Amino acid sequence: MADTRIRQTTRTTADWRQMLTGGKRVGIVGVPPLEVIAFLHGQGIGIDDLDAMLIRADLELVTAYLPRVYCAILRTVVLNALHLKLDAVIVDVGPGKCDAAFHVATILEESLDIPVIRTENRDAVPFGTPIAEGRLSLLDKLLRITEGVKSPYADPNPPPPCRATAGFWGVPPRDFSILQLFPDTTHVYGWSRCMENKTPADGDLEALFNPEIPTVFFAQSFCAKTALARFLANRHPHALYLDVDVHTGNSARAKIEAFLELSGACP
Amino acid sequence: MILGDFGTTYCKFLDTDQPAAAPTIVATKALPPDLRVDLATGHNGKRFADRYVNELIALARGGEALIRENEFLLLDCGSRDIKFVHYQDGKLKDMGWNAECGASMGFTIELLEKYYDLDYQGLAVPATTFSITCGVLGMSHIFDAVIAGVPVAEAVARFVKGIAVNAYRFARSPKKLYLSGGLCDNPLFVASLPCETVPLGRFVLLEGLRQTLQMK
Repeated sequence: MADTRIRQTTRTTADWRQMLTGGKRVGIVGVPPLEVIAFLHGQGIGIDDLDAMLIRADLELVTAYLPRVYCAILRTVVLNALHLKLDAVIVDVGPGKCDAAFHVATILEESLDIPVIRTENRDAVPFGTPIAEGRLSLLDKLLRITEGVKSPYADPNPPPPCRATAGFWGVPPRDFSILQLFPDTTHVYGWSRCMENKTPADGDLEALFNPEIPTVFFAQSFCAKTALARFLANRHPHALYLDVDVHTGNSARAKIEAFLELSGACP
Repeated sequence: MILGDFGTTYCKFLDTDQPAAAPTIVATKALPPDLRVDLATGHNGKRFADRYVNELIALARGGEALIRENEFLLLDCGSRDIKFVHYQDGKLKDMGWNAECGASMGFTIELLEKYYDLDYQGLAVPATTFSITCGVLGMSHIFDAVIAGVPVAEAVARFVKGIAVNAYRFARSPKKLYLSGGLCDNPLFVASLPCETVPLGRFVLLEGLRQTLQMK
């Protein structure tokens, strides 16, 4: 019996334009290159961010495709892809996303009957991070940053800048309710900041933190970035390392509340 | 003002209008359902008060008031969970709250004492221990040891020591720790902690509530 070969590559799918032309709606995973997003806009193709919680369905449905113990965001990606009516899925599989997405792209490719396009985002032109440093609820900041991934433009109406009293470092969490615990003067760091800057593969920007403000280093369980989160938290003089999976439990919530209150981060 | 620390098994109360009065303890299952206090903590507390302080904050404020040191580690072992705060240079440095893998440690210790009719005041610290991460799962070690011929008291003592060692590791294995919670009254547990241990009793969170009251 011959060996079975399944194609896996980090290279951008060569004929992505042709594959997307004529489509009405596509799903994206991670931050595809600006060129791709601009093309979708030019073609009037709608975009769904599959990293976000878009549908109400049991995450257990994904266990046929991914292990139960796996990144909750990528499990959400597969859940969305299985339920939404899409013409194609674009998965960023380069250094701007993660190794796990690289493998999820393969699984989607083998499981869906629509094209799965791989991209490798190495965009290096900084768009700035006014949302990350603005006065706005942290929940709204992350909503605007994640929404901004679907646009080729910078946010036209960023919030006014503010002096930081707290920091949130990390990827946008699967469970956004955690963000409601932070003050409006929380600055955003980590990959979320890279997302706003439209440079998701900028490792230097991702590793940036402010040692003068108490910072929560958020880690989405089973994400490779948990290693960086803990490493930076150990370097930071006043940090809380927090690992959260699908939902934010009471103890995680209490830890954030206590950390922010006891460190004087809440004005 | 009535302050209440609503634990899983026991609730502790303090009336600040009677400074000379000692805190009182009531079994959680005996609480009147219509009870109201002015300020509460503990995982049950939100049901009984309009003002609530989360347990880690109450623990930290209590530690700040009771421990006259700039650097300390305070570990609270309750019925259901374990939590700690670590201060360095007078500031919060680290904290942890294990409500899942530390589940029901204190509750199980009390359950075993009653079930096997033991008295922890008279049990010696055993030379060996069970490797335990959870009160419920750890019980199977006791049953296996008893089946293998280990006396019940010895098996339970190994279990208690295993829980103490697990709590100590959860608190990042300090050289010295201050202990809070009902297990302060359990000499076997206290002596099983493999470091210098200073029991502060079971009213540290109430003290934290009193500090919160004074601050606000």
